[in-house]
Amino acid sequence: MLEGLVLATVFCGFFGIIFKKNLIMKIVCMDVMSTGVIAYYVVVASREGWLTPIISKGKNVAYAYADPVPQAVILTAIVIGFSIQALMLVSVMKLARDNPTLESNEIEMNNTP
Amino acid sequence: MNTLTLAWIALPFFAGFSIYLFPKLDKYLAICGAIASAAYAFQLFVMPSAVTLELLDNFSVTLLVDRLSGYFILTNALVTAAVIIYCWPTDKTAFFYAQILMVHGSVNAAFASADFISLYVALEVSGIAAFLLIAYPRTDRSIWVALRYLFISNTAMLFYLVGAVLVYKASNSFSFAGLGAAPPEAIALIFMGLLVKGGVFVSGLWLPLTHSESETPVSALLSGIVVKAGVYPLVRCALMVEEVAPIVEIFGVGTALLGVFYAVLEKDSKRMLAFHTVSQLGFILAAPSVGGFYALAHGLVKSSLFLIAGSLPSRNLKELKQKPIDTKIWIALVIASLSISGFPLLVGFGAKVLTVKNLGPWETIAMNVAAVGTAISFAKFIFLPRGGQTTAKPGFWPAVLLLLAGLIGANAFDVQAYTLGNMLKAIAIIGVGWSAYFLIFQRTAIKLPRMLEEFDHLVGFMSLISLLLFWMALPT
Repeated sequence: MLEGLVLATVFCGFFGIIFKKNLIMKIVCMDVMSTGVIAYYVVVASREGWLTPIISKGKNVAYAYADPVPQAVILTAIVIGFSIQALMLVSVMKLARDNPTLESNEIEMNNTP
Repeated sequence: MNTLTLAWIALPFFAGFSIYLFPKLDKYLAICGAIASAAYAFQLFVMPSAVTLELLDNFSVTLLVDRLSGYFILTNALVTAAVIIYCWPTDKTAFFYAQILMVHGSVNAAFASADFISLYVALEVSGIAAFLLIAYPRTDRSIWVALRYLFISNTAMLFYLVGAVLVYKASNSFSFAGLGAAPPEAIALIFMGLLVKGGVFVSGLWLPLTHSESETPVSALLSGIVVKAGVYPLVRCALMVEEVAPIVEIFGVGTALLGVFYAVLEKDSKRMLAFHTVSQLGFILAAPSVGGFYALAHGLVKSSLFLIAGSLPSRNLKELKQKPIDTKIWIALVIASLSISGFPLLVGFGAKVLTVKNLGPWETIAMNVAAVGTAISFAKFIFLPRGGQTTAKPGFWPAVLLLLAGLIGANAFDVQAYTLGNMLKAIAIIGVGWSAYFLIFQRTAIKLPRMLEEFDHLVGFMSLISLLLFWMALPT
């Protein structure tokens, strides 16, 4: 169920990239998609349990904890996604000066030989 | 050797960030990074066995370097060095050299990594640095081309990430070897990401516009090495996991034919070279066990061709027929064109012979067709009028001479290819190609529609290609 919802988020983002005309909206859709991917990693991490994987005194060692590896990995991807987003928005700002409507097919037509 | 490997991966990044602290030393630091990689690559060739590094545990970073990565690393070093030498007399800022080192370092890291997450990080860093290099002129067009590149590669990499976690779910590790136990959807998503990133088959049709609209040195860098960062993991996976090898080979043959089909009909020199990149990547993928040598041959020849194309008086091949080009530049152009067509004495010959030897029977026919197509399209360059007076840029000759020397010197890796039969066959292929050029293609004026290169279609094709891959990866 949770997995299905997360994958639906990914697909909403993906189809948004194709069907939205405005460049900003496309970038927002890409962010939705990457949110879905990040959530999927969290879902995979919690398939055996969702307790914090920290051993503390007085607790049973063999409790159902969340898998820390996918979470650690996805942190890197969040940082990378965020920096890419920043770069894209800066270039959209530059493009907006000459193409104020930011319609992607207009920009494409103006800038391909 | 382990410490050396880690130091070599870190060095370009370290040098790249040092450029920001010492902007005066930019070119020297950049060339040092390239030389260090070349030295490391030669170290790999003399080493008896592969180096495998597992940092921490089986969950995390796995590195693997052997002769195959050695070829890719050597290509990276030579192409980067040539591009830096080409830019030496120009007034490029320290920022430009820093980004070249970032590209160099991240591509190196991609050639050394053997797990999906390190590869992801390396590919994304190379994408960001390539974005900054493409957008360096700051014109509207360059910004759009760069944005399009980053957008498409990032979307593909998001699918790749989903695939990576599916591999983890199946085998509790991110290493390439886990692909064997992974479900077909994982293979489909990961390969789709890599095919887009590597510019292979229909997913690679973002490549012609990006590579042809960038500045000359940046095109050389992109076509020479950056796409190989996406191709290398495909080759590596095909060698490590037997089940996926047929998929990689089929895509190799497909892209070789598709690229050459577009290239034969193309009238713009830089776009033709870019389509040839799409096609030549197919030769690397079609025979994964010898793909490294072909990657070296292609990286050297393609970057020299892009540098030479930047010094021709026009980009339009029709106009070039009217304007004679400088004889010295023409000679360099002919050497490079002959090498990519597979003429003996140049490295392209040895690489083609070795690739064809490792193919299955039906693949051999397709690849020979692609080789004839290559000869046809490079006949457009070879039979250009010469004798004109154009002055090349000051950094042009040292850079091109380095690459051309590499084209001749790299023959040493494969001397067994020089048998009479192989040489006759290579010359026959070129002969067939040239006669086809004179009889048919010289006069044709077919203009292919560029619809598939539009942004929305490129993104849409990702879903189709992943469906196709899923179907191919289904266990039979």
